[in-house]
Amino acid sequence: MKRYLLRRIAVMPLLLLGIASIVFVVSRLTPADPLVQIIGERNINNPEVVAAAKARWGLDEPLPVQYATYMKNLVRGDMGTSFTTRQPVAHDLWDRLPATMELTLAAMFIGVVFGVGLGVLSARHRNGVFDVLARFFALIGSSLPAFWTGLLALYVFYAKMDWLPGPGRLAPRATPPGEITGFYTVDSLLHGDWTNLREALMHLILPASVLGWGVVGIVTRLVRASLLDEFNMEYVRVARAMGLRESTVVNSHALRNALLPTITIVAFTFAFLLTGAVLTETVFSWPGVGSYAVEASRTLDFPAIIGVTILGGFAFLLTNLVTDIVYAFADPRIRLS
Amino acid sequence: MVQVTYSTGRGRRRRSIAAALAAGALLIAACGGGDDEEATGGDEASATETASAEATATAEPTAESEGAAPGGSDTALVVARGMDINSLDPSLAYCDTCQIYLTAVYETLIGLAEDNVTLEPRLATSWESNPEQTEFTFTLDPAATFADGAPVTSADVKFSWERLKALQGGSSYLASLIDTIDTPDPQTVVVTLSAPNSAFLAQVNAPYLGIINKALAEANGATTDVATDAAEPWFLANSAGSGPFQLTSYTEGNELRLARNDAYWGTPAAFPEVIMRETPQAVTQRQQLEQGEVDIAMQLSADVAAGLSNPDVTVEQVQSYNYVYVALSPGALGAEQLTPEVREAIRLALDYTGLIDVTVGGAGKPQPSPIPNGFLGTEGLPEPAQDLERAKQLMADAGVTELTLDATFPSLNVYGVDFSTAMQKVQTDLQEIGITLELNPVEIAVWADKAGSDGIPVTMLYFAPDHTDPSQYVQYFGLIEGSSWLARAKAELVPEQQTLLDQAFATQDVTERGAVYNELALAMMADQIIIPVVNPDLFLAYRSDITGMRYSACCNLVLADLGKG
Repeated sequence: MKRYLLRRIAVMPLLLLGIASIVFVVSRLTPADPLVQIIGERNINNPEVVAAAKARWGLDEPLPVQYATYMKNLVRGDMGTSFTTRQPVAHDLWDRLPATMELTLAAMFIGVVFGVGLGVLSARHRNGVFDVLARFFALIGSSLPAFWTGLLALYVFYAKMDWLPGPGRLAPRATPPGEITGFYTVDSLLHGDWTNLREALMHLILPASVLGWGVVGIVTRLVRASLLDEFNMEYVRVARAMGLRESTVVNSHALRNALLPTITIVAFTFAFLLTGAVLTETVFSWPGVGSYAVEASRTLDFPAIIGVTILGGFAFLLTNLVTDIVYAFADPRIRLS
Repeated sequence: MVQVTYSTGRGRRRRSIAAALAAGALLIAACGGGDDEEATGGDEASATETASAEATATAEPTAESEGAAPGGSDTALVVARGMDINSLDPSLAYCDTCQIYLTAVYETLIGLAEDNVTLEPRLATSWESNPEQTEFTFTLDPAATFADGAPVTSADVKFSWERLKALQGGSSYLASLIDTIDTPDPQTVVVTLSAPNSAFLAQVNAPYLGIINKALAEANGATTDVATDAAEPWFLANSAGSGPFQLTSYTEGNELRLARNDAYWGTPAAFPEVIMRETPQAVTQRQQLEQGEVDIAMQLSADVAAGLSNPDVTVEQVQSYNYVYVALSPGALGAEQLTPEVREAIRLALDYTGLIDVTVGGAGKPQPSPIPNGFLGTEGLPEPAQDLERAKQLMADAGVTELTLDATFPSLNVYGVDFSTAMQKVQTDLQEIGITLELNPVEIAVWADKAGSDGIPVTMLYFAPDHTDPSQYVQYFGLIEGSSWLARAKAELVPEQQTLLDQAFATQDVTERGAVYNELALAMMADQIIIPVVNPDLFLAYRSDITGMRYSACCNLVLADLGKG
């Protein structure tokens, strides 16, 4: 297993370089002019300004030279400087990752807790009223686009009822807690700043629920289907025949096996949300990696686009690896080799 | 150059555009004279100008700038904005939010008074120019200091403007004519231009020409050489200005924080802190304003502003100098039939009132020429009007019965105008005369690539002024050497326009300059390349206890003027 893990970890940088190469080539072949972001549309016909900007950003070199320079820097951990923020891309991602992680973890918590709960209850009350309602709820959650549910949630719970705060991680007048982890909830807690802790938690509820609803939909359906399969297995029938309580049969025996496929989905959903919570972050003005990706794509910010892609690729590769390890521990039949 | 405030349900002031135009145009030109005896020339008009200039330029700081600060406050001022910041380095920044930031942090030599017309002393107590408009001398206020206590000297001015020119950022064109900057003593700056430029004082007033603390900037990598300058990252987290605020922090996509410069050499700002929150959606800006979470929202569209009914919120509808235009490129690929007759037919086929209604709910005005309403030289220009019969006749005369044109345009929503909606209306209007537009909304980067290569027969774009002189419009839209739209439209040079612009640059007399710019406006209208379609009003929405709120033609929003009542 140790050799397997080392091999997998050793391959990761090569895969990431491959991903970076593909994105580099594709982005440079796009018929678009990134200089608009750098010097503004009004200067795009000014040869002196264009030449200076190209030289400043290394865009005056032939494409192969640009590629070689980029890859050489990338190997040294330098992802380049964003055209938009004028900061190193690695700095930008590091700066924004905590916001996305905080949102994603909260969404995953909601998604897994409610998804597993609804999935179990649905399976136990198969074809009953609760099952139908839970499946309907799950279907809506995984079908409705986040920008729509996000806007609706903001309209209802913020604008109309004023039950929950609006966009952003904190109230507009609030001062963020001193940075330790970048998670506002954790940092507020560590500083003993209860006002900001409450604010941060309240601001998490809407975006995390909107994002988590989609996860609920996926997990509910998967847990339900897996549990129903398990219910047909002999060991479940034996357990029931032995007179064990239904809750014991489900929670201690069937659910444990049913959760195995769920681990994979949950892990990949987590990786996806790390870079894919684009719509939710945009609607809720959440300064995370998703909104950074949107801006990078919109402005053709090459270094930022590649940086986000590398981060996404890394998240998926890491998730894949962790999933395999968890599988090996969860199911003794699996051997990593 | 004139702020016109229209009364809404909670509106405030009304001003006469005509009166302000007359006064304003006079004063702007007058400031060109400063108190220089040479500049007086011999004619009566010049004498008048100089007298006015003396009153303005040599005056001690006005009661407004030196008097009581606006209502003080213990709390931060919060502004909800979709921030478009491309840099916080004063030599590279170029955006609407940059104007607000730079005005708050980096002072210019000359300021713009509340009337959006009169130039007033800021770091410079007086200024003068030679009659040829090639040499400008500024006298700095000896009391002016940077936030770190260092005095503002002529060396700082020289460094700031030379760096602006050298770095070739978006606003470098404002310093492009600067040939030499002499600093005979710490309080005197003599700027020599490579060509006459009567617009120079208006350009000096633009926030992009703010003064940087040379010693502090140099210590952090700033130089006047594009090859060696490395200060931009430092400027993203620090500031080196003499303004009433200092940069505290900036998180792209999240917030910009400013702290009051308590050592400010002038009247300190009323708010101890300013927070600009990234809030791109107008609806969210409105909600946050209504709930008291923010104090100011000034990017509300007409429909969103119309929904505001909170008695604690004030909404002012003011004339802006921003506008959206349709651009025709006769030299673009597939635009061979865009002859002058067809272009005129297109101009006559557009329903301008309908366009304003559809895009901004009627909260805007038609605009005759590429020089916007209110600028010098725009008086008496013929209003655009739809004339379908004449348009059809022109199409028939040109022998064009059916024409299909590519209409790639940037997918933007600017100043409340959604380009897709506007272009659909243009498409509908042009169908009336047998022209079919193939609408193709794209990102601005894609649009720029296409506009710069094949060209785009029919497109849409917007313009907001960098300063208060009309020359910027001729330089950008006119068919003169170096103009953006000469290149994009692939049109032919019109040497007369360059001659007129040179004449305007060399003329100090405001009446003469007004007449020249009027001619230029008419000439650009006759080009039929740029057809302004909407001059949208601006909605200033703010909590009713905020005082000093106004739209500044040069600087957008002047944070130092704001207080709490």
